[in-house]
Amino acid sequence: MSRVKEFDFEYFIGPAHPGVTGNMNYHIWAEGDTIIKIEPNLGYLHRAFEKLIERRMWIKNFPLIPRICVPDPDVNEVLYAMAIEKLMGIEAPPRAQYLRVFMLEMSRMASYLFYFGGVAGTLGLYTLPNWSIGDRDYILDRFEEISGHRIYHIYQTIGGVRRDIPDPGYIERVLELMDYLEKRLKDYDKVFFEHPIFKKRAKGVGVVDKETALKFSVTGPNLRAAGVPYDVRKAEPYLVYDRLEFNVPQVFTDGDVYSRVMQRRLEFEESIKIVRQVMENLPEGPVNIKLRNPFELRVPEGEIYVKVESSKGEYGFYLVSDGDVKPYRLHVRGPSFSHGLQLVRHIGPGTNIADIPVILFSLDICPPDAER
Amino acid sequence: MSMEEKIVEELKSILGDLGEVWIQREKRVYAKVPKNLVLPILAYLKDKGFHQLTTITCVDWIKRGKFELIYNLFSLYHENIHVFIKTELERDKETMPTAIDIYPMAFDYEREIHEMFGIVFEGHPRLDSFILEDWDGPPPMRKDFDTAKYVEEKYGVKDYTEEIWKRMEQPYREEKDE
Repeated sequence: MSRVKEFDFEYFIGPAHPGVTGNMNYHIWAEGDTIIKIEPNLGYLHRAFEKLIERRMWIKNFPLIPRICVPDPDVNEVLYAMAIEKLMGIEAPPRAQYLRVFMLEMSRMASYLFYFGGVAGTLGLYTLPNWSIGDRDYILDRFEEISGHRIYHIYQTIGGVRRDIPDPGYIERVLELMDYLEKRLKDYDKVFFEHPIFKKRAKGVGVVDKETALKFSVTGPNLRAAGVPYDVRKAEPYLVYDRLEFNVPQVFTDGDVYSRVMQRRLEFEESIKIVRQVMENLPEGPVNIKLRNPFELRVPEGEIYVKVESSKGEYGFYLVSDGDVKPYRLHVRGPSFSHGLQLVRHIGPGTNIADIPVILFSLDICPPDAER
Repeated sequence: MSMEEKIVEELKSILGDLGEVWIQREKRVYAKVPKNLVLPILAYLKDKGFHQLTTITCVDWIKRGKFELIYNLFSLYHENIHVFIKTELERDKETMPTAIDIYPMAFDYEREIHEMFGIVFEGHPRLDSFILEDWDGPPPMRKDFDTAKYVEEKYGVKDYTEEIWKRMEQPYREEKDE
């Protein structure tokens, strides 16, 4: 910006700020309290995953790859395993596919609980963050039982999942948790989703309408909140999503902060529905294909684009293999690349400085999947 | 005729002998075109309803001496099909006209590819540092970038063995205030 006046202000949100989901910086120019320009700065979480992945064997990438996204790590593992399986022409056994859906949906719910807490926190309603992050821990407990880890599960492998569910009682414990979360959602409604302050601060703020959303490659819940009922789980069913019953809610379609939050709140119920179906219909059988020697594994030459619906939007991997023991190239297409940069530059100017944290948080930007 | 076949027919009728078009698998259509035809094809597909530039992928084929750019387009109006437009650049003439006039989303993808692979996008208004701040080495995602050598030259390598031994030889002494 060339024009700098005495009453122009410069603000820096981030890199360490509760108003942004990760370590990312927004440089803001404002006139009074109206924003005239906003410029995102990446680079605080760059860990060169794409380069590291090229230097490790196929199987050794599994502990590395979930670290691309902290709140929703399982999509990375599942995508990587799915891409390799498609290139090799093998398919995971049905029980493994059901367990993958289970992990994806539990991870989605954990991510949404984080999100609800974050949005409430940016509005100054501090009851919900304490509740929702506390309830997220019960999901992490179930993760720990099944995989041994709480945050990064390293549960997937080529041709299935690493281990079966711990004991028959596990299913009951998961179903009990689902009942608990459903009950808790009613409490959340009282304390946050029907709260007059939330409605007043969120309605009509940070609007991303249908045209803007389609122009700026917005995907996932943000796109559905703008009135486009597109969901990868329905449009291009992967794993066993075509055998499960769930809806794509289309109730709040204004594209503002309120619609985006309520969209996720409604999808949370659908996730509970999916987990219940998975746990009730879990087929018998093995959970993985035994590979001869995973360290000598060579994936046939070829390239493939796979995508799943993550909690933030369309998450895609472009994997290229040249028939060697290591991947030739893996390109991660994270949803935050479109939500966090060009879209924010477009919708930012004209908004009030006090609304910026809630707008940024409501887009659910996860910087690690943008800069990798 | 399925939607994939329709798109392949259409692209074949425009490209003729200048490019190849094929269906890789369900909902994935590939087209390989020469460098000067990429922008016209992107503009044509955008008019047809491919509203979303999902990503631009760059692959460094060092043995062939080529960079490969893959434009990943997506449409809600064509049964959710992805069309991949591939093109190859010579490794010593790595320039490409920018696509931001057609897809505004290309802005940051091109900045990233410029930083990681060193490809110059002609007409791009802002090819400055993006993720790697104050980077002075060669583009790091190229296959010939040697990480260990770069670290050695930039930060130097110090052998600590002697220092550690010296420290271990010293007898332990309590410090006293005098």
